[in-house]
Amino acid sequence: MSAWAAIAGGFAGTLVLTTTLRAANELKLTRIDLPFLLGTALTTDRIRAKALGYVLHFIAGLGFALIYYLMFLAIDRSGWWLGAIFGLAHGLFSGTALVNILLPLVHPRMGTPSTAATSVALLEPPGFMMLNYGLQTPLVTLAAHVAYGSLVGGFITLAG
Amino acid sequence: MARVRPDAFQRTGGYAPISSYAAIGDGRTVALVARDGSIDWLPLPELDSPSVFGAVLDAGSGGQFALCPEAPYAVERRYVPGTNVLETVFSTDTGTVRVTDALTVPAGGLGPLRELARRVEGLAGSVWMAWSVEPRFGYAGVSSRVGWRAGVPVATAGGDALAVCAFEAGAPEFRAGVIRGRFEARAGTRALLALSAAHREPLVVPTRGDAEARLDATATIWQRWSDGLTYAGPFREAVLRSALALKLLVHAGSGAVAAAATTSLPEQIGGERNWDYRFCWVRDSAFTLNAFLGLSCAPEARAYFWWLMHASQLTHPRLRVLYRLDGGARAPERTLALNGYRGSRPVRVGNAAAAQLQLDTYGELLQTAWLYASTGHRIDADIARRLAEVADHVCRIWREPDAGIWEVRSEPRHFTQSKMMCWVALERACELARRGIIPDRHAERWGTEARAVHAFIETRCYSQDLRSYVRSAHSDELDASLLLGVLFAYGDANAERWAGTVDAVRRGLAQGPLVRRYTGDDGLAGSEGAFVTCSFWLVESLARTGRVEEAVRLMDELLGLANDVGLYAEEIEPATGAFLGNVPQALSHLALISAALAIAQETTR
Repeated sequence: MSAWAAIAGGFAGTLVLTTTLRAANELKLTRIDLPFLLGTALTTDRIRAKALGYVLHFIAGLGFALIYYLMFLAIDRSGWWLGAIFGLAHGLFSGTALVNILLPLVHPRMGTPSTAATSVALLEPPGFMMLNYGLQTPLVTLAAHVAYGSLVGGFITLAG
Repeated sequence: MARVRPDAFQRTGGYAPISSYAAIGDGRTVALVARDGSIDWLPLPELDSPSVFGAVLDAGSGGQFALCPEAPYAVERRYVPGTNVLETVFSTDTGTVRVTDALTVPAGGLGPLRELARRVEGLAGSVWMAWSVEPRFGYAGVSSRVGWRAGVPVATAGGDALAVCAFEAGAPEFRAGVIRGRFEARAGTRALLALSAAHREPLVVPTRGDAEARLDATATIWQRWSDGLTYAGPFREAVLRSALALKLLVHAGSGAVAAAATTSLPEQIGGERNWDYRFCWVRDSAFTLNAFLGLSCAPEARAYFWWLMHASQLTHPRLRVLYRLDGGARAPERTLALNGYRGSRPVRVGNAAAAQLQLDTYGELLQTAWLYASTGHRIDADIARRLAEVADHVCRIWREPDAGIWEVRSEPRHFTQSKMMCWVALERACELARRGIIPDRHAERWGTEARAVHAFIETRCYSQDLRSYVRSAHSDELDASLLLGVLFAYGDANAERWAGTVDAVRRGLAQGPLVRRYTGDDGLAGSEGAFVTCSFWLVESLARTGRVEEAVRLMDELLGLANDVGLYAEEIEPATGAFLGNVPQALSHLALISAALAIAQETTR
């Protein structure tokens, strides 16, 4: 198993994940915009936020691919289907804890249930499984993460 | 500020008179605010997007944002001078409040994608105000959900969301998809309602301070823009208001100018003449550029010209009648399941006229290029080559019948105004070639064909009996668009034929100060009101043919027919003064500006 293959798989997987979410966005299935959510943690400029957000999202995609790689190493087994299962778990974690609970805690412009009067504009909180961004959001994000995981697992396996 | 009698405003079956609407906008979309404070039209996120408030097209289910006193009231309103920020003052027996409405312009920092801000200030006494937001996404065709996000009511539907932020404006509650509240506005208090809209992204919920600051900054931005207008001639106030109305229709994303802010407001109450005007018509291009240049709006002129050349590149050398605001050429027409303004069905979106042949557009394009070049703007080699190819194309097609400037849906004809504009196209091409601005390889052919067009018009499109040019070859019908021949210098404005034509149009089509478009068939059932644009064309024609005093008198009369905030719709019913058609209408305001500029020029000549 190769860490470089994991990085390549992470790049391809993030590309597919981002494209899937963007396509779902265009199809009015969801209002989720991960680069926008990430970027606005660092800047209030909309354009700069989206550009920064894409960079952060890709870095996160590569980072998670390396985590997948370490997990494959730990169990001494890999494969696209195993990657898909990791992706599913990753998607569930993102929807329930990462974006829903953890991101609002560190994001300076995202409301939480305890938010009262604020001095900054707030981003709409995602809610459980990010349902606030549309009823189809869980399905779309899970599908995108499964695709991501499959690609990471597939790349690692292909590289031997 | 014009005081409106309480009895002067009445809704009919839930519909406000079209003349009761003021427009506010942010360069991306426009909202219509009725005199009773209700916002009955707001497409989001762009002007040509589906509406979220569409009560103007269906009072029952279209959706609206109502805000007014609970007790009976009188209304006065105006735009904050030099801006598109609206102030409405409601006076009741117990007090007075001022509502300031604007679609805010981003002013740095993280703000909503689109924001509608409504500030309520208590001026005297105490007034209980009630408000309700009834969002109906997708022209009321998409079901929505209402929920809470961090204590803010939010309506969502597909890729769209709307947050209703109420600051000191009562506790919002919602029932049956309607978010509402009430509050007491006492002298010295200030409340704010801010709607934050998102499209394909999470909502941004503004703070009160940010929203208030954006509202103030929006007024400043508009004032700064209007301070840059240099016009100092007659009818200055009306010209500036028209320029501001026009600026509302300039799509900031592309530089295109929408023909109007609405769709399907009827040309006849209960009739079928209901069209979507949220597109950019090539027909309006020369007037648009002339207005921008005449008022020193050089950035808008440049953006518009480049948008026009960019959009038309897709169909080169043919021109579509209209293009979408993003420059696309497709505008498929469909009807919506809405009742229509006072039952005027169908409600259409898209516009089937896009696919018609309208020969006059070629004259408009070449005239626009000529205006642009003759005011010192540079035309690059690629655009120059394309303009020459457009002139070549005119040589090939001018003999064909077409749908004419009015986009009739009857059989194509040899419309006189279309031929005149073909002549204008070829003459301007020759002039541009003479100046070395466009390639002159085919200039001789353009000249030959221009003479052939001229001969066609002079022999077949002039009636000795009427002593006037006529609507189409060998007809005896009149058409106010013939006046464009004077405006675009087809022949000598002081020639006998033009004097006769101006008189004939006035005699045959004018009713008081207002002028109807034409006599004869247009392939549609029913009739229509008088066309505001044609009325201003008559003013300009009078000025251009040496009858300046008559022009000034007529202009004065027409300016008196604007609504209380200086806006015009497409048409006015001569008998009642009621507005008809889409509002605010770019061409009406462009024609007003053009007429004022002409009077200014002819007066100083």
